Amino acid sequence: MSIETDDGRGHGHDSEHHLPAVEDWPKGFGEASWWPFISALGGSGFYIGAALYVLGQGQSPIVSPVAGGAVFVLSTFVFLTGLYGWLYHAFIVDFWEGEAADFGFPLKLTMLLFLATEVATFGAGFIYYFFIRAGSWSDLPPIVADGEVLSTLVIANTLVLIASSVTIHYAHHALLNGDRTRFVRLLGATLGLGLVFLAGQVYEYYEFIVHLGFSLTDGAYGTAFYGLTGLHGLHVSLGAVLLSILFIRALYGHYSAEKHVSVSTVSMYWHFVDIVWVFLVVVLYVGAIV
Amino acid sequence: MAALVGAVFLAALGFVARVNGWWGRLPFVDRTRVATDGGHAHEPGSGLAHKPSGITRWLTTVDHKDIGILYGMYGVIAFLWGGVSVMIMRFELFTAAETYISPEMYNALLTSHGITMLFLFGTPIIAAFSNYFVPLLIDADDMAFPRINAIAFWLLPPAALLIWAGFFTIPLDIAISPAQTSWTMYTPLSVEQSNPGVDLMLLGLHLTGVSATMGAINFIATIFTERGDDVTWANLDIFSWTILTQSGLILFAFPLLGSALIMLLLDRNFATTFFAVEGGGPILWQHLFWFFGHPEVYILVLPMMGLVSWILPKFAGRKLFGFKFVVYSTLAIGVLSFGVWAHHMFGSGMDPRIRASFMATSLAIAIPSAVKTFNWITTLWNGKVRLTAPMLFCIGFVANFVIGGITGVFLASVPVNLILHETYYVVGHFHYIVMGMIAFAGFGAIYYWFPIVTGRMYNRKLAKGHFWLSMIGVNITFFAMLLAGYFGMPRRYATYSDFNPELAPLTEITFLHQVMTAGAVIIAVGTILWLLNVVWSWKKGGKVTDPDPWNTKEYGLHGREFAWFEQQLAATDGGETESESAVATDGGADGESVATDGGSEQA
Repeated sequence: MSIETDDGRGHGHDSEHHLPAVEDWPKGFGEASWWPFISALGGSGFYIGAALYVLGQGQSPIVSPVAGGAVFVLSTFVFLTGLYGWLYHAFIVDFWEGEAADFGFPLKLTMLLFLATEVATFGAGFIYYFFIRAGSWSDLPPIVADGEVLSTLVIANTLVLIASSVTIHYAHHALLNGDRTRFVRLLGATLGLGLVFLAGQVYEYYEFIVHLGFSLTDGAYGTAFYGLTGLHGLHVSLGAVLLSILFIRALYGHYSAEKHVSVSTVSMYWHFVDIVWVFLVVVLYVGAIV
Repeated sequence: MAALVGAVFLAALGFVARVNGWWGRLPFVDRTRVATDGGHAHEPGSGLAHKPSGITRWLTTVDHKDIGILYGMYGVIAFLWGGVSVMIMRFELFTAAETYISPEMYNALLTSHGITMLFLFGTPIIAAFSNYFVPLLIDADDMAFPRINAIAFWLLPPAALLIWAGFFTIPLDIAISPAQTSWTMYTPLSVEQSNPGVDLMLLGLHLTGVSATMGAINFIATIFTERGDDVTWANLDIFSWTILTQSGLILFAFPLLGSALIMLLLDRNFATTFFAVEGGGPILWQHLFWFFGHPEVYILVLPMMGLVSWILPKFAGRKLFGFKFVVYSTLAIGVLSFGVWAHHMFGSGMDPRIRASFMATSLAIAIPSAVKTFNWITTLWNGKVRLTAPMLFCIGFVANFVIGGITGVFLASVPVNLILHETYYVVGHFHYIVMGMIAFAGFGAIYYWFPIVTGRMYNRKLAKGHFWLSMIGVNITFFAMLLAGYFGMPRRYATYSDFNPELAPLTEITFLHQVMTAGAVIIAVGTILWLLNVVWSWKKGGKVTDPDPWNTKEYGLHGREFAWFEQQLAATDGGETESESAVATDGGADGESVATDGGSEQA
């Protein structure tokens, strides 16, 4: 769903009519386009890949165990090609010719609506956790009994993520004030902090799984812990991809005080992911040991 | 059995392939477009020159009207499979003992019927109407995100393949069989069925959820930001209001279902404990599922109520009575729908105090529902009622809602619920809603907008035959279900010969099942009439030359979509010199009348 977060730009609606689709490849027809179909093909390929993975498991696999992974990788390629073609031809190729964004409101509204769906997506996982926390809350892994789950690593990681929210906020402000250098630097800092956070999460997983023997199947809490932090980690990864797109485009000189819709929408997404993390730390880490 | 299912699919696909050829004839005129997601503006008047021919057109289209037709075709295929699957079950139930399908096949068909009708027919058929007509009704150039609109549709065919995969693999004789979880997928049953067909179905369902969510975001953005200059919140039409509310429900319901499905998949394949007894327990699945599932009912029915609120006044010659209150009741139902889910779980041993509060909220939904019903009836009051096919379906809709709705009020009451739960009474109740209302409004809307979409008129005799067969069939079938429920006939049983006669008297139950099967045959005959009518009229029906085929201008009820249709006719008029275009708009074959279907007043 990241696709609609990108920058809206006005296609000329006067005599200088410009039709990017005419230059599009594969060739579109008027307003028609192959990109949604290709992206859908890749997107549903993830599901086909997952299905083949399931069929490749067990004692007597129905398909080859590698089929699922292969289809998944292939689909990723098709999906990214679809999105790249879509975004490139729709927005980026003639960014310079475009007028100031007409579409700030619809795109920001759309991001807001998407974040509303995310509340529901995360909601189901949190409800599971509240069920077990308010329920029997027994058979706890040692990591919870000892209080080790709330480590300094998590606290440091939390501060890193909060700091990245601050940097993206001031990056956006710098852009609005016309200070491009500061904008690019703070944007880079945000991306860097996001990557540090992800590295911290990976390190935490490594510590828990390898050294402390606490894994996904480790009782009701293991399911909640890896389910919720995993879902959040996927969201941070998507955010890092979005930030990378912003950063690369910023390095190429895109964005200005007038054209900054995708900076706004990615910023909204990033703040949301940050808020979810703070809530997650409070209930899942702190809440487990108090 | 497998061969039968396969043959049905081939027949359905063959039929659609034939319909395919006629798509090229659809009226089309370009509009200038500026879209937010890379959908492109193009010059008006360029006509079909911009559209490629053949399959490429349909694979690349981002035109909301084309995508609406794609959704419609998809919904019809799903509807046919849903209908075939239930007919197989109904013939099995004609006698109490097992006859020609195994209980496993019965369970598989039962699951597929529910999932297909709700996820692959219900939601897409509404998207068909809303895609085609919401942009016309709000005077928008297109959807806010035409390309996202296209991608949302194209996720659906692979989803259907995954959901039906278990049936496709029957002839291959590999270890995948159709899921037998019922559409509610209750744990632990759904976790413990090792059949990978269940996993495929769950993956397919998740994909339909992604599609529905993308569509919902698109509709909200469209209605908020793409309205024409003279379309305000005050004069926004009732159908768009219901689509807006429905999209709001989808926004929270489908992503939550998506997470729950992923959790179920993890439980099945990675030994997590989301719905295991030592984790969240089976009851957590019920809470999450019904938190989605009950709003899903309103996701399906609110837009259909909107269609009836839009179409019924046209043939009553009066404006919709109490428009504001119909809008308010829509919003009220939307909000309340998230607060009633546990009435599906009264028998699960939950705290009686929670039960009582969910009973109160569930009963409260009767109030906005009744507001709508009385407003429809009051719209008819002293109106100049014209009993055209779309109007008959609207009136049938209201009548069936009275029965379907009031049986729902009974079920919302805890003491009654505990007796009738898991009986055919529940099945009868919700089929009055899904068949008697949702499908009826769909048929009515198809007849009402047939001239716009196809440029032709349907055969009205067939259409009226379709209505009466459907109305009689629905009331025979589903009223018999209510009675069977009173006799204690439990749901979801492939056979009923071994029942304790004290609990369910076999003679009466068998008779009622035979009545249900007879009623289902009547519905099936009506549906075949509808199919033939639509297929035949799309190809051969009389061309509509009157831009106001329903004479709505006379009553000051001319809608924006028909105003748009008038522009279309004016734009394409030059090319139409065939003698066919002189044929009257009532189906051509009817020599007795030159008026349109709407023109012959019968009140």
